[in-house]
Amino acid sequence: MNYFFHIIIMINIYIILSLSLNLIVGMGGMLSICHAAFYGIGAYIGTLLMVNLGWTFLPALLVAIIGTAILSLIISIPSLRLKGDYFILGSMGFQSIVFILLYNWTDLTRGPYGISGIPSPSFLDLKISGLPLWFVFSTTVMFICSMFIIFLMKSPFGRTLKSIREDELAAAALGKNIPLFKIKTFALAAGFAAVAGMLFAGYMRYIDPTSFTMMESVFILSMIIIGGAGNIRGPVIGAIVLVVLPELLRFLGMPDAIAANMRQIIYGLAMIILIRCRPQGLLGDYKFT
Amino acid sequence: MNLFLQLLLNGFINGCVYALVALGFALICNTTRIFHFAHAGVYTFSAYVFYTFYTQQNLPLAIAIPLTLGIAAVLGIAIDCVLYKPLEKKNASTLLAMLSSLGLYIIIVNIICMFYGNNSKILVAGLLSTVKFGGLMLNVVQIAIFATFIIVFAVFSLTLYYTGLGIKLRAMRDNPTLLALNGVNANLLRLFVFGIGSSLCALAAILTGLDVGIDPNIGMSVTITAAVAMIAGGMGVFEGAALGALMIGVLQSLAVWQLSVRWQDMVTFIVLILFLLLRPQGLLGRKGRLEERGNV
Repeated sequence: MNYFFHIIIMINIYIILSLSLNLIVGMGGMLSICHAAFYGIGAYIGTLLMVNLGWTFLPALLVAIIGTAILSLIISIPSLRLKGDYFILGSMGFQSIVFILLYNWTDLTRGPYGISGIPSPSFLDLKISGLPLWFVFSTTVMFICSMFIIFLMKSPFGRTLKSIREDELAAAALGKNIPLFKIKTFALAAGFAAVAGMLFAGYMRYIDPTSFTMMESVFILSMIIIGGAGNIRGPVIGAIVLVVLPELLRFLGMPDAIAANMRQIIYGLAMIILIRCRPQGLLGDYKFT
Repeated sequence: MNLFLQLLLNGFINGCVYALVALGFALICNTTRIFHFAHAGVYTFSAYVFYTFYTQQNLPLAIAIPLTLGIAAVLGIAIDCVLYKPLEKKNASTLLAMLSSLGLYIIIVNIICMFYGNNSKILVAGLLSTVKFGGLMLNVVQIAIFATFIIVFAVFSLTLYYTGLGIKLRAMRDNPTLLALNGVNANLLRLFVFGIGSSLCALAAILTGLDVGIDPNIGMSVTITAAVAMIAGGMGVFEGAALGALMIGVLQSLAVWQLSVRWQDMVTFIVLILFLLLRPQGLLGRKGRLEERGNV
């Protein structure tokens, strides 16, 4: 049962990540490989506030969201000038810089040793610890975030974003401020990624930079590629499939050492096959071209 | 002062390694427009193939090196045939090719991990013999790296500008369709490009492997550096990649000198961001008209 809870909690975290990345990739049409950077920045800002300054969870979460959204400007403003392959390279550059900073800025982040002893979040008298409570808490947070994102996608904001994805020039001709929309999208997605980061930090009670590598970004992006982009069900299915699939390997009796590699091989393979045969993913609306 | 010169020299030698990978990367990217990240997979794969032949099977260098280069070329060609060609037939964009390329890189690296384990391996036991120039020291492999780079670069440039093959390559860079219409077998040329590009990458992998050893994750940072070098040198200019690579190598050694070795990877990405923003055509590139420039 605890195992089951753990899987659900991880799925919840990844659903928040994939849905928020979907705002950039599926709605905005900008393939970005830096979501793990936002996820990491959020986790680190919140964790440092809680561990070093003794803040409680909620204010730390708020500052993490706002801080990550502001830091997203560093990538979103320059990226307005880049398109296609160059945009991907630029976002990879940002991702790598963030990872190197987290890893080497040892005075602040303790680098490769990571930060341990992160306090469990508590609200009034209720302390969120133990798997069942975390299951309830993370599911609640996931639902709140998803509601926000669904609302955003159905709002005029989401429709404008879609129109920019389909035809930037036409959207500009209708008087939409395209750079502003792109910047806002990045800030929103980064904010949601920070929520996921805080959930991860609070749940694991330990973070280190290796959870926020470029490969993690590719992993989150592949959820969208595999599940499908541009709607709600695609990224959700992608997150569920990619979290559950490797666990199934365990039931096949594969030793842990091989299972970790096998999991990566499977998702690499799934990515290649879906890009080849079904560019819109399993359940997506938007076809990558 | 001596430390500075020594670091500068080391940086230059590193730059030569990057340049070998970057020349291969630029050859592929300029002619096919694909950001071939599976190049990192080819790099790691050939390092391990060489490890198997040279260290485990004790084959002499003269057999192990050509064998590895050949296998790398075959792998590169296979990647094109299996991965990129079908995507191109479907008129998919280079973005999708790049993503599947990343997927393939993940697969190759994890297969290597399964067979050889995650830990790093040393190809040559013991210390390499060193040569002194004045106060500066270089080991044998570093000298070999320098010599290889000079030879490869000379042959590369001469081929590119003084042979029929070079004309075809430059034509393929400018317009692959028109090249095919003029009766050149563009498909064969494409296979050749992937083969040579992968062999150059394997050469760099072998030389660095002999110098500092190998582990399954060596490929990606070198390949990203190569991609950055290509952009810094100028897209569309084949030799620009080598210039960019040497520049990054030297800048990295300056970072080691002034800060610490931990920040040396940071240099690559700062160079990338600065060039993308301030000089997207690169050091040697010409600023084309907007519609010719493609994505930048």
